[in-house]
Amino acid sequence: MINFVIIIFIITLIYLSKVEMVKSYYPLMGLQGVLLFLLAFLELQEIDVVHLLIILLETLVFKALFVPLFLLRITKGRVHRHQKSPIKGYYSVLIALVIIVLSFITSHEMHDEFLDVKYFTAATSSILIGLFIAINNRDLVTHLIAYLVIENGIFLLSLALGSEMPMFVNAAILLDIFTSVLVMGIFFNRLKDYFQNTDASQLSHLKD
Amino acid sequence: MSIVLFLSITIILAATTYLVRIIYLSHAMVFAYVVLMVILAFELVNNVGAAHGEFFLADRLGIIFYIVLIVVSFFSAIHYVKFVSNRKVEASSVALHNAGTIFFTGAIAGVLFASHVGILWALMEATTLGASVLIYHNRNQESLEATWKYLFVCSIGITLAFAGILFLGLAAHKVGHIDFTFSAIKAVASQLNPVWLQACFLLVLTGFSVKMGLVPLFNVDIDAKDASPSQVGASLSSVLMNAGFVAIYRFYEAFSATAILPWMNKLLMITGMLSLFFAAAYLLKVKNIKRLFAYSSMEHASLVMIAFSAGGIGYFAAVLHLIMHSLAKSSLFFQVSQMHRIYASKHDDSIGSYLRINPLGGLVLLLGFLSIIAMPPSGMLITELMMFQALVAKNYWWLAIIILILVLVIIYGLAVRLLGILFLKKPLAQINLKGATWYESIIQLGLILLVFYIGLFRPDFIVDNIKLAIQSLPL
Repeated sequence: MINFVIIIFIITLIYLSKVEMVKSYYPLMGLQGVLLFLLAFLELQEIDVVHLLIILLETLVFKALFVPLFLLRITKGRVHRHQKSPIKGYYSVLIALVIIVLSFITSHEMHDEFLDVKYFTAATSSILIGLFIAINNRDLVTHLIAYLVIENGIFLLSLALGSEMPMFVNAAILLDIFTSVLVMGIFFNRLKDYFQNTDASQLSHLKD
Repeated sequence: MSIVLFLSITIILAATTYLVRIIYLSHAMVFAYVVLMVILAFELVNNVGAAHGEFFLADRLGIIFYIVLIVVSFFSAIHYVKFVSNRKVEASSVALHNAGTIFFTGAIAGVLFASHVGILWALMEATTLGASVLIYHNRNQESLEATWKYLFVCSIGITLAFAGILFLGLAAHKVGHIDFTFSAIKAVASQLNPVWLQACFLLVLTGFSVKMGLVPLFNVDIDAKDASPSQVGASLSSVLMNAGFVAIYRFYEAFSATAILPWMNKLLMITGMLSLFFAAAYLLKVKNIKRLFAYSSMEHASLVMIAFSAGGIGYFAAVLHLIMHSLAKSSLFFQVSQMHRIYASKHDDSIGSYLRINPLGGLVLLLGFLSIIAMPPSGMLITELMMFQALVAKNYWWLAIIILILVLVIIYGLAVRLLGILFLKKPLAQINLKGATWYESIIQLGLILLVFYIGLFRPDFIVDNIKLAIQSLPL
């Protein structure tokens, strides 16, 4: 089951790397949220109510529901198709595939007994593909999506490495991520109103 | 009062300040917060090394930079009152800015005292959110652009730093369960897989580089200092840089007893050298005076990293240099605010004869210039000499020569712009002589004279406390 969920997650990453219509991002981000919930739930060794609640909040409520709806709201009626990117269509898919294969080889070669190769491959792929999306697109909404893809990778990395932080620290980290997405959304709205479109190349007023 | 209580009050006070729409009352909230900081400082100074709950520790290094934070925050608050009265800022903007100031300052204080890796990360992210509110203050195209870039790049950077923390977690599996406080990590660090520790330190340094204004994520920091009000630029160039340093220091200290120490030193040296190179290259072409000071801050951050990586006396030099830089650079940023009021410009083409037009402000700029280029009687000369001494002690002659050349290039870049502003007659469109206020300049002069005093007399209480703060580092 875990293998199946991870494979679906990796497929969403490949699809995210070639998306051209902004509206296609929302269901993909929602799906990633659900998949992350399934993975975190399956990894739970014992059902502890508080722990389960935090996972529910972070994955299903925040990643699967809040993020897609919030993105839909801030881009509604204004942003349909993101700006042209230097690497297009199937070339992006090719790069995403190379990233995934390299991530797998690296994870496999690490030979660490505490490292889960499946999770680590998906996590590093997600972080690197997130960075690729951010670099390859000039559209600001895509930058926001890229940040969220990287955040999903970090969530998977915490599952891969199994590091446990105290509940208070987890809550603080979750609150920080939630607030940063919210604040970015607010500033995205202001940018959209100010510049009439969301092409990052317009953000070149500050120069030496 | 404990640090936990202080941070709880910070959140309540920031929220209350946001709701207060009477400008004078809003300013009063910030000054009340500074008083609260002073009360906490007395408590901490009397109980150095005391743990505050599971996540905070009032160690000497944290207290030193906390006192600098109080000084800079107090003078920033005074300058913001003047800024508001001159620009006729709306009450809602003042409320948001003052609430952001309290939140940002509290988050920095939290970073300085955080003894838990996760809490340090969360508070560092909180400084990004607080800073974004402050950078956005002017609500124009520049501030919007700078805020977006800062928020986006900082968030990515800090996310990478979190990945570093996760690698530390992976390494820690080997010794069973640890509580992720820096002292617990230090106790077991020598038993952990060095590869994961290296990955952790690399990602943490990359992520927090934006706070110190170092390579690789320095660009957004420069833009933020340019587009924000001058007193915000002063905070970003001083207290936020110190927080970034403390965060990197905590990881460095925790790993300092392991085999990766020489590797960490090399990494810090490379980061410092690259940053110094970029600072020198950009300083030669920049005409905007705020960006000029921002690149100068980058130069000093890189010198701090180089001194720190050299070890020995370099550790002492790095901490003392940061203290003096915080005072001198915030003073210069405050002065830019006055210059902007007088000339309605921040480009050196439109600013000239400043010493004649505003003698007291001109004196601040002249002495500030001498301070940041480490000319006698600036205290920064002493720390830079210590840095060279540390480099030579490690037989890094060739590096010392390259650094000297780059520093000379930077001095030339600064001299061309700043001496031109002070002494040259330029075609000026309009001058508002009422923009100069003596009491602002007196404050700035006081800060710079303090730098001279520290350099000339090296007071025992500063020297002794720094030595005690860094005593856990390897010789």
